Amino acid sequence: MKFERYILPVFLLFLWQLLSYVGVIPSYLLPSPIRIIFGFKDLMFVGMPPEHLLYDHARYSLYRVAYGFGIACLVGIPLGLIMGWSERIRALIGPLIELVRPIPPLAWIPIAILWFGIGIKSAAFIIFLGTFFPILLNTISGVVAINPIFLDAARSLNAKEKDIFFKVLIPGSIPSIFLGMRIGMGIGWMTLVAAEFTGVKEGYGLGYMIMTARDIQRPDEIIAGMLVIGIIGLFINWAFGALESKIVRWR
Amino acid sequence: MINVCKTFSLDREKHGLEVLVDISCRIEEGEFVSLVGPSGCGKTTLLKIIAGLERATRGRVLLDGFEIASQTDKVGLVFQEYALFPWRTTLQNIVIGLEIMGVNKKERLAAGMEYVNMFGLKGFENRYPCELSGGMQQRVAIARTLIMGPKVVLMDEPFGSLDSQTRNDLQEFLLDLWQKRQDTVLFVTHNVDEAVFLSDEILVLSKRPARIITRFQVDCPRPRDRTSVECNIIRREILSTLRGERVD
Amino acid sequence: MGKKEIYPIVLGIFILGLMRGPALGSEPIRIGYLQSDIHQLACWVALEKGFYKKQGVDVKLAGIFRAGPEEMSAFAAGALDMGYVGEAPATTAVANGMARVRILAQVNTEGSAIVVREKANIKTMNDLRGKRVAVPGHSTVQDFLLRKAMAKWNIPMNEINITVLKPPEMINALRTKQIDAFIAWEPYPAKAQTMGVGRVLLYSSDIWKNHPCCVLVADQRFLASRPAEARRMVAAHVEATDFIDNNPEEAGRIAVKYTGMDPESVRLAMQNVNYTYQLSIEGEKEYVRFLVGLKYIHVKDIDAFTRNFICQDILKELVKK
Repeated sequence: MKFERYILPVFLLFLWQLLSYVGVIPSYLLPSPIRIIFGFKDLMFVGMPPEHLLYDHARYSLYRVAYGFGIACLVGIPLGLIMGWSERIRALIGPLIELVRPIPPLAWIPIAILWFGIGIKSAAFIIFLGTFFPILLNTISGVVAINPIFLDAARSLNAKEKDIFFKVLIPGSIPSIFLGMRIGMGIGWMTLVAAEFTGVKEGYGLGYMIMTARDIQRPDEIIAGMLVIGIIGLFINWAFGALESKIVRWR
Repeated sequence: MINVCKTFSLDREKHGLEVLVDISCRIEEGEFVSLVGPSGCGKTTLLKIIAGLERATRGRVLLDGFEIASQTDKVGLVFQEYALFPWRTTLQNIVIGLEIMGVNKKERLAAGMEYVNMFGLKGFENRYPCELSGGMQQRVAIARTLIMGPKVVLMDEPFGSLDSQTRNDLQEFLLDLWQKRQDTVLFVTHNVDEAVFLSDEILVLSKRPARIITRFQVDCPRPRDRTSVECNIIRREILSTLRGERVD
Repeated sequence: MGKKEIYPIVLGIFILGLMRGPALGSEPIRIGYLQSDIHQLACWVALEKGFYKKQGVDVKLAGIFRAGPEEMSAFAAGALDMGYVGEAPATTAVANGMARVRILAQVNTEGSAIVVREKANIKTMNDLRGKRVAVPGHSTVQDFLLRKAMAKWNIPMNEINITVLKPPEMINALRTKQIDAFIAWEPYPAKAQTMGVGRVLLYSSDIWKNHPCCVLVADQRFLASRPAEARRMVAAHVEATDFIDNNPEEAGRIAVKYTGMDPESVRLAMQNVNYTYQLSIEGEKEYVRFLVGLKYIHVKDIDAFTRNFICQDILKELVKK
């Protein structure tokens, strides 16, 4: 029965509310579920900082992530296809990629501020760094892992190198590319809050909203904000999955 | 016009391992020739050389008197594993060769549908390979090759991964097509029954390094009866030759 | 001792260990202050000149914070016993039930400024309409002052783009035109001037004369369990504040050490700050009224809140002597 899976979480919620109510869990450490719900209401209608509503914060954050993610795709997918195809290029660029990859995106924040200022570009840059590498690496592996028999079959049908690239390599690596995009998007969304610490000129963003809730000492809004971020992240992941099953019907 | 595929003294070394030695034969236009030999003896390598996917260490392959390397578009290859592009539908797989050649969409699709019907795939033209049975997939693979009108059709154990009923059906289907189209076919198999049922001529290869041990002409009239006396005689002879090869 | 007796003892120790709160007896007093905030010079003087030691209290620096709200979070987590912090973030934290602290003494009045680019064509507050101004954080004293200035000059809240930046980043952001102005505590305005990047548009005294700025606060649990030491901390603070008035040169040198800034900026900065320990009840009420207006906090009885928040007794006793 489907409703069985909800028994435990609902019970825990009740317990939490009860413990908060009797004071066992102090409100300055962890607000009660009901307070968090009210915090959520405040985020939506009063705003944090006041006048800056949740909906607008979400819009800006989604825009920043889309920006960073979009550029990561535009750079990562073609580069990945080329690097997958040519061993020479892989050997040439590979070491540089391996050098930069382990640097956590957040470590780039001071440089990002210097290069891009405190607006959307610097947040998008941090997000770009987080999403780029999974996309690149999965694209490369998608190409490299293509069964050689498809290359033979294509050649036996008179395909030239360009035909192979466009008719075999690209369609064949699409599942891997999607996987890379999905992983990258997940990382990008997670990096969002910290990326917005670079300074948010526009005054909007979910990370900024949580920071401000911290400044104004509203832990109920902090947690409500965190939940919103989590839910949006979940939704994005689901959307990617749905998109993938529409586009890749041959699995 | 002679449509001949000649393989002169072909040698092939792979990684310092001699795979083929001194393969020479001559195939006439319209003939159905089978290559029979123990597993792993290099039959696939031979086909790949003829198809231009690999190079011989020594020797030449001529088609109509000219090097086959410059005429690879006249050679078609059907793989045992079908090698259908999983992201393309049946129809799209069949016409991909035409697409590569630059034939326009309307003509492609018309030719494609013609072959769809010819191969009994009607109703499945928009399905993906993962939705088709093994037998159907192989039919698509053969259609994909034949639609290009190759002068020589190479087939590498095409029915190897099918169950025996489907296999028999496809053999008959292939023969039927062949008799209408008169293609030149070089058919690789390790199944002697299949070779005897299908071919005009059978070349028996030794184990690695492979050389041609014998050639058999199969004079049985068509349509063939698998259980006929003549078929059995030839079968027995081939089998004993192969058995001799197995003794190490 | 058998197994049966061990369990309650182990459990007891475990529970004791979990309990937060003021250290027992001879533990050092954990204090915090704001990074490079020259308002809080008294704290640095007291540390350097050993005034705390003189009073017989053992002090441990438990945190240097980039802005007031961060320090208040540390109080909420029970990580500080006493601290030097802005009055506005302290009020916000207490009103929102996050930190339980009381103000024991004033630290300074005035000492902030709105700075614009040296060559910018901005002469009055009105010229800031439609522009972008940086504050160190929401509900800081500076955030408060900026909005008070907007109210004073009749500029509607949505006509200035307020952005949060940490003060160390403000000067560069101003120079690269990311922002058009910033308001920060000294010595950042002074530094902007000595670097030739900016000039002062308004001093905080122009916005609100004699406005209280930083305060010395104590965690209520600490205050309740170690009142004598709290009193001695305030005494050290009073002595340090007097020292600054009487020995500006030496105080300046201490300021250079703790801010890491050059003597010229420090001298300029100190001219803008008024070091005093006198509490201002009216000033606090003004803060509460304004924060309620901004919807940062909800306080029904401002007088009662202020009375509970500010503890005047300790200071009164000390000054009488």
